[in-house]
Amino acid sequence: MAGLARSTLLLFSTQMSRVWWSRRTLFCLALAGAAPAMAWIVASSTTRVPAGAIAAHVGWLLLLQVIVPLLALVCGSAVITEEIEDRTITYLFSRPIPRAAVLLGRWLAALVLVSVLLGLSAALTAALASRSAAPGPAVDRGITVPLVEAALLGGAVYSGLFAAAGVFFRHPMIVGLGYAFAIEGFLANLPGRNQALTVQYYLRSLIADTGSAPWRTVEGFSSARFESAHSSILTLAVALLLVLSLACWRISRREFVLSA
Amino acid sequence: MSALLVARELARWYGPVVGLVDISLTLEGGIIGLLGPNGAGKSTFLKLVAGEIRPSRGTILVLGRDPFANRAHFAETGFCPQQDALYGEMTGLAFVTFLLRLSGWSKREARAQAARALERVGLADAMHRRTREYSRGMRQRAKIAQAIAHGPRLLVADEPLSGLDPIARRSVVDLLLDLARDGVHILVSSHVLHEVEGLTRNVLLLHRGRVLAQGEVPEIRTLLSRHPRKVDIHLRDARALARALVDLPGVRALHLSQDETSLGIETSDLEGFLAALPAVAARARAGIRSLETPDAGLEAVFDYLVN
Repeated sequence: MAGLARSTLLLFSTQMSRVWWSRRTLFCLALAGAAPAMAWIVASSTTRVPAGAIAAHVGWLLLLQVIVPLLALVCGSAVITEEIEDRTITYLFSRPIPRAAVLLGRWLAALVLVSVLLGLSAALTAALASRSAAPGPAVDRGITVPLVEAALLGGAVYSGLFAAAGVFFRHPMIVGLGYAFAIEGFLANLPGRNQALTVQYYLRSLIADTGSAPWRTVEGFSSARFESAHSSILTLAVALLLVLSLACWRISRREFVLSA
Repeated sequence: MSALLVARELARWYGPVVGLVDISLTLEGGIIGLLGPNGAGKSTFLKLVAGEIRPSRGTILVLGRDPFANRAHFAETGFCPQQDALYGEMTGLAFVTFLLRLSGWSKREARAQAARALERVGLADAMHRRTREYSRGMRQRAKIAQAIAHGPRLLVADEPLSGLDPIARRSVVDLLLDLARDGVHILVSSHVLHEVEGLTRNVLLLHRGRVLAQGEVPEIRTLLSRHPRKVDIHLRDARALARALVDLPGVRALHLSQDETSLGIETSDLEGFLAALPAVAARARAGIRSLETPDAGLEAVFDYLVN
């Protein structure tokens, strides 16, 4: 266990020093900037939509439903795939370390990047939406805090899922896109408790439980029944732990065949 | 002394593509040259030895252990892979230091040991440059440095001499010989016979995933000597030379071109033929312009052994 922790930390710190100036990070930065940019454009151009509603709508429809899974996909799916595509995984897998450390260390670095970008993106979205001069609910803590929390939680869970996908599938990016934008969308529209099989359901529950009134103007927040915030966080944490454990088990046994 | 490597009915395939077929052998140690043309299965065999992949069938034990994903094996083995891949944004020193730290070395010791390994492969002046700025030969040497830095008992090197200029090649050969003198077992692959001959007399010949021959180079040479070798000569008067060569010992066949400016010769004693040729050609006033031995390459050797 000490070997796993030491190797994970070493891989994490090495990956952190590599990650900041990569092209992938620049792309993610642009992606994370889309939500604040949208909030600023809408807030600057409308005289009828109040700031709270702008933050809630941009926060949910663009940031949490699109940017969070997409950014987590770009970073998470690269955790293992990047080493395979660069054909450098040989160096890591020929060292006397638990192979799970490669997944965990690199995922932790991806998690830091995802969290920083999404946390800033959520906070800026709320801040820039507050520029709207339209009468109505302003951006308050009940908007900002749940938005930042949901962005961070969603980023963590999605990046973990997609990092694990890189262990199981040859093309985790395609699998992840299919999952985030097809399977989750399909399940979310099925009747009954099927929504409880999606990450989005728990993010929505977290916001619905802790958010202020403007969130209820967003479609889907007022009609359905949700979990409590604690239950949502716990469920997602357990799911993340299970998926990562399974991926750690798998990476310890799987061989990665590289072309010469 | 226990064997370095024991393989029993070892086979490996990639979907429908066969990499290795039913290999059973024992290797005792020292420097072992793995020879074979491209696609012979050399890299597959080395990846199995290095523990990067597992057999599809059969077993392999290296230093008494199953190597796949075996941390005890990795602690005692250095692997220089064939792929030309490094962490481009790292310096050579950071690259080797990082991998040494993964092998359990402290930061300070790893850095010092990495510098020593890089000096040993001739990268002392370039160790602070990013590896993406390295030439192919420098990258090759950085790969060797990471494989030897932790002081392995076994070094598995897949085509370590490819991409190196003659001087660097000589220094890597010397380095491998030094390591062997220090007691490191070395399994090294190449598709160039003379490269391996400079390293070891002990070779393993692979072809199409099978072991063709295993033993010392002279034994392989003996096999080759039975094989009639071709010599193509371009010259002014082929007929005159053909007349002079007819009675030379070892000459089995002569093929005269229509314009009588080239001559194809088959001989069972290439070295004797080449030694005698200058005098014979001078007497015949044949005016030799060029000479080639088109089947001297390893591919031809393998074709002969296979057929």
